[in-house]
Amino acid sequence: MADHGRPDRGRANQGRADGGGADGGLAELSSVGVRELGRLIRATTPALTAGLPLTVLLAFVAGGGRIVTPLTVQYALDHGLLDSDGGGAADVVGRAVLVGAAATVAAVLASCWLNRRVYRRTEAALTELRTQGITRIHEIAPETFAGLAGADLVTRLTSDIEAVTTFVQNGGVALLVNITQMIIAGVLVATYSWQLALPVLVLSALLFVVMRRLQAVVARRYAAVRGSVSVLQSTVGEAVTGIAVIRSTGTETRTRAAVDDAVAGTASAQRHTLVPLHVNTALGEVAISAMTAFVVVAGTRWSTAHTRWEPALHLSAGELVAMLLLVSVFVRPLQALVQTLGEIQNAVVGWRRALEILATPSGVVTGADARELPAGPIGVELADVAAAYGAGPPVVEHLTVAIAPGEHVAVVGETGSGKSTFAKLLTRQIPASRGRVLLGGVPVGRVSEASFQRRVAIVPQDPFLFDATIAENIGVGLRGDPDLFNDSDGLGDSDGLGDSDGLGDSDVLGEIVSSLGLRPWLDTLPDGLDTRVGVRGERLSAGERQLVALARTALVDPDLLVLDEATSGIDPATDVRVQRALAALTVGRTTVSIAHRMVTAEHADRVLVLDHGRLVQSGRHSDLVRVPGRYAELHAAWVEHTSSGDEPRRTLHRQKESTP
Amino acid sequence: MVKRRHDGRERVRGGDGTFWAGLRTMLDGSIAHPGAALVGAVAGVVNGVTMVLGAAAIGWATDHLIVPALAGGDVGRATWWLAAGAILGVSTLRWTTIIARGIATGHVQYGSQARVRRAVVRRYLELDLAWHRRHAPGRLLSTAVSDVDALWFPMVFWFFAFGMVVMLAVALVQMFGHDPALGLVGVALVGSVLGLNLLYQRLLAARARAVQDSRGEFAALALESIEGAQVVRTLGLADRERARVGAAADRLRRATTSMGDVSSVFDPVLEQLPSVAILAVLAVGARRVDSGELSVGVLVEVVYLLLTISIPLSVISRFLAMLPISAAGRSRIAAVLDSDETTAYGTRTLAGAGALGLRARGVGHIQGGRHLLADVELSVRPGEIVALVGATGSGKSTLIDLLARQVDPADGVVEIGGVRARDLARGEIPAHLAVVSQSPWMAGGSIRANLRLDGHPRERRPYTDAELWQALAAAGADTVVRDLPDGLDTRVGERGTRLSGGQRQRLCLARALLRAPRAILLDDATSALDPAVERDVLAAVAGLRGRTTVLIVGGRPSSVLIADRVAFLRAGRLVAVGTHAELLDAEPDYRRILQAYGTADTAHG
Repeated sequence: MADHGRPDRGRANQGRADGGGADGGLAELSSVGVRELGRLIRATTPALTAGLPLTVLLAFVAGGGRIVTPLTVQYALDHGLLDSDGGGAADVVGRAVLVGAAATVAAVLASCWLNRRVYRRTEAALTELRTQGITRIHEIAPETFAGLAGADLVTRLTSDIEAVTTFVQNGGVALLVNITQMIIAGVLVATYSWQLALPVLVLSALLFVVMRRLQAVVARRYAAVRGSVSVLQSTVGEAVTGIAVIRSTGTETRTRAAVDDAVAGTASAQRHTLVPLHVNTALGEVAISAMTAFVVVAGTRWSTAHTRWEPALHLSAGELVAMLLLVSVFVRPLQALVQTLGEIQNAVVGWRRALEILATPSGVVTGADARELPAGPIGVELADVAAAYGAGPPVVEHLTVAIAPGEHVAVVGETGSGKSTFAKLLTRQIPASRGRVLLGGVPVGRVSEASFQRRVAIVPQDPFLFDATIAENIGVGLRGDPDLFNDSDGLGDSDGLGDSDGLGDSDVLGEIVSSLGLRPWLDTLPDGLDTRVGVRGERLSAGERQLVALARTALVDPDLLVLDEATSGIDPATDVRVQRALAALTVGRTTVSIAHRMVTAEHADRVLVLDHGRLVQSGRHSDLVRVPGRYAELHAAWVEHTSSGDEPRRTLHRQKESTP
Repeated sequence: MVKRRHDGRERVRGGDGTFWAGLRTMLDGSIAHPGAALVGAVAGVVNGVTMVLGAAAIGWATDHLIVPALAGGDVGRATWWLAAGAILGVSTLRWTTIIARGIATGHVQYGSQARVRRAVVRRYLELDLAWHRRHAPGRLLSTAVSDVDALWFPMVFWFFAFGMVVMLAVALVQMFGHDPALGLVGVALVGSVLGLNLLYQRLLAARARAVQDSRGEFAALALESIEGAQVVRTLGLADRERARVGAAADRLRRATTSMGDVSSVFDPVLEQLPSVAILAVLAVGARRVDSGELSVGVLVEVVYLLLTISIPLSVISRFLAMLPISAAGRSRIAAVLDSDETTAYGTRTLAGAGALGLRARGVGHIQGGRHLLADVELSVRPGEIVALVGATGSGKSTLIDLLARQVDPADGVVEIGGVRARDLARGEIPAHLAVVSQSPWMAGGSIRANLRLDGHPRERRPYTDAELWQALAAAGADTVVRDLPDGLDTRVGERGTRLSGGQRQRLCLARALLRAPRAILLDDATSALDPAVERDVLAAVAGLRGRTTVLIVGGRPSSVLIADRVAFLRAGRLVAVGTHAELLDAEPDYRRILQAYGTADTAHG
């Protein structure tokens, strides 16, 4: 692919990105600074940070509302209850209580508003992140995508993003209010008496540092828990995916022992977190009681009799009691703060991992660089092409091939000869590390996305089906009918593939099904075309899935069709029938068939023979089969495989020779 | 929550309710760990009481130290020490019980999780294949991991909440003791907080479930979209996927927002209710203090008590809020533990040592409404090689499943070695019969471990390397293993993903051959092999003739040619059984399949 520099350019944009970029993975943001991350968040989800001043104001009102109670108590004590003038205390207190109640109501309202505002904005931003994420995933250059694990991408869009929701709803907003509450309480304590406040604040700072340290220990132990849980996951996963083998080999005991080990490992890792975790919680209590005792003793003493070198305070009883209350108003949020810090990390990591999808450059070819494929069947030209997977050795080399528009070419060779790589080069799934790949005279990397889709199609050995009916899976390829599969009602239709196939469409489907000769097979299914195929089509056999994929592709009507072992799971009779039907359907299109069944080669206009990544022969079947060479050998093996009347030689003696 | 029944099986106790069933679950978990539970409960109660005592200490200090000292009165030296000592002493009791309660709780919680998790996975291992095929492995995995976690979530606050209930009781008694009016304020507070919490919990439960469902729906759609990326690309479905997955994301947003809206209102209200109570106490208390019925210290004590009362109330609410999540987990766990679709075993054994005959008598099978097989009569003689041939979807794999008793037939009887398969004792079939399925499955770990498993099923001994290599050679996998960097000790990755499909297929075949089975059933087990390799493997299979009964599925002539007889299936019915030559003559459909590639007729026509 001449234009394979495209993803590299994207990678260069990521600055210090390393690691992830090297194996062609997603953009790497773990080394990106806070400011850059913030810029990315603002750029992708602007709704989140809009109107920040109002949010902060609401937080202050909400936090301030919690301080009102100690203040009211102080006022009531000093100006009513302990006022030696006596009488009228109830009225003074009554007024104070009214003011306090008004402030509390204001705080509640501010809190409600704040919560609602932050929740809604966060969820809107996360929805945007999810939707943009899935969009970008389908835009990532195929060669980059090939190196990504599907499960990891799903995790980034689900549990990673859910960590943000969890954080926001279980402490994130409270954190905001807690911080404002601490600021206000700290200022108040300092105005009552800075001499009393100073030790309290120093002790708080000390507490904060120690708790952070312990929290780091807790975090490490939780990381160990996560590690043991992932071992547990794969052990249980093995037990449920491999149940048929476990059953048929009678090795339940062995599996049970492995699961028991993993379960015990997880429990032990979890128990390991207990001591630091709870010591950390207890520290807050220790600090509160030390501060309280200090305020009671020192506050009273320094306000009454004291030695010369002690500070002289003039605190009222009300102020002293208010300080006692404020100490706990100050320290409790601090405890919460330390605990939420761990969750902040989860949320930030989650958000970052989702952002890494969006920061990965789009591989979609559009704009000035993009070129359209010429109309009609598409010719293919490879000039001295080499390709490799990652940093591995080249799997094809010095490949120079020209396929005329409308030609039907078969590619044959042993496993590992580079057949599938050839298919991937034509369909942009792997870039050429050397040489040029041209489709219709256009470098494959510059063919516009719109032009590439639907005009170039590949049917792989293990095609993917959506969890819907057979009709829907075939019809998904219908050209120019976007409404058919839109999730128009938006609700309830969880499969989302739509459940209506209009009359006209079912006619088209019926036609394609009949022309591929699939009627007899469909008739064995209880619901025919309306049979649901299950997740990934797993309710169908491998061969049945291939039949559906072939019908789907036939409906798309591509101008370059690449069949990569597309009928390997189908029984011979159906295979031949389908191939014949496909041949009729694909007349006038360029077809590249990759197969180890030589029958494919026999029907092709031309056969390309690959061996160890190089093109060794090219020509008609009838010509090649007569000259000694790789093709003649492969064909001979095939003929023996399919038709030899002799029983295969008994080769069991080989076992002994090969035993080391 | 898990009870051992008389048959030794663990069961879920609980039922449909959220609250009582949740409490029962916690109670059962505690009973299963009596020592830790006792420590947790005692520490919880003591801790709760220290909150009341702490407030009393502050009140005492106010009355006996702060007020008289600041009023210029004389305060004895002992009072100073007593005030500081009371505050610090109560605190020491409090923080030690915090640690003790936390650790004890963790032991009960993690111990209970481990126990239920083991029970669930054990059940998985006992439930039959038909059950497993109806349940997605991902769902089962998440039940064993996440649902079990969820079941025990409330345990985190169980002893804490228990202590707090005690604390509330003590506090209310205390307040009533000081003044009935203050007591009433306390009761009103506790009542309204708990009442609001119940309402909150009810409103939240449905919404939390909706969020959970939407998350699952979104995850499934996202996974499908990502797994189908190649189709999305080639067919240009990106816009459709954006709309489809985006709509699911939007439904998730609506569900989450709806939950957030509820907590937006309830959280601040619940949080500020104690403040309102404090204000009420001040208003009521001021008159009492005025009239001399109440000391300022007691008023301060009650205020302090109410300030800390938000902790127990929020702990109790959080405990209650976790119950619905726990209940959801419990119902999924119960569905597993209560499933009775286990394979029943008889007591008979397979005597002798030679090859085993296999027989289907009037066998039929239906799965999910689809008639897969009907009226199959087939008898495979000991030591015979029989090929199963049929078009895609004709029921070959189903017949293999039934003959190996992977699944029991809906109709008819399967016999192995002349004994009804249902009458055979547990472990008999795996010890004598091997199946190699279409999709080659391997466990993580080394090749050696994958081949060995539990060792020789009948002789109860581990395999020697010589035996391993011999089986590998027969399956055409010796060169594969020799070329790997660590040979037999090469780790194959999770589910064998580091190997190609063809390599896995050969290793799975080797795993079966190694066990020297008396009957082997091969379900298209050579489909991913190159013709030359397949030829050698089939030759090795042919060499089993006489010693091992072989049933082989495969439409390719190569596998038919090593067979003594061929059974031909069409649309779930056994159409004909005979030699290859007989069937070529008699069955046009059979001829069509075998001669599809236009080469097989000359040899046998």
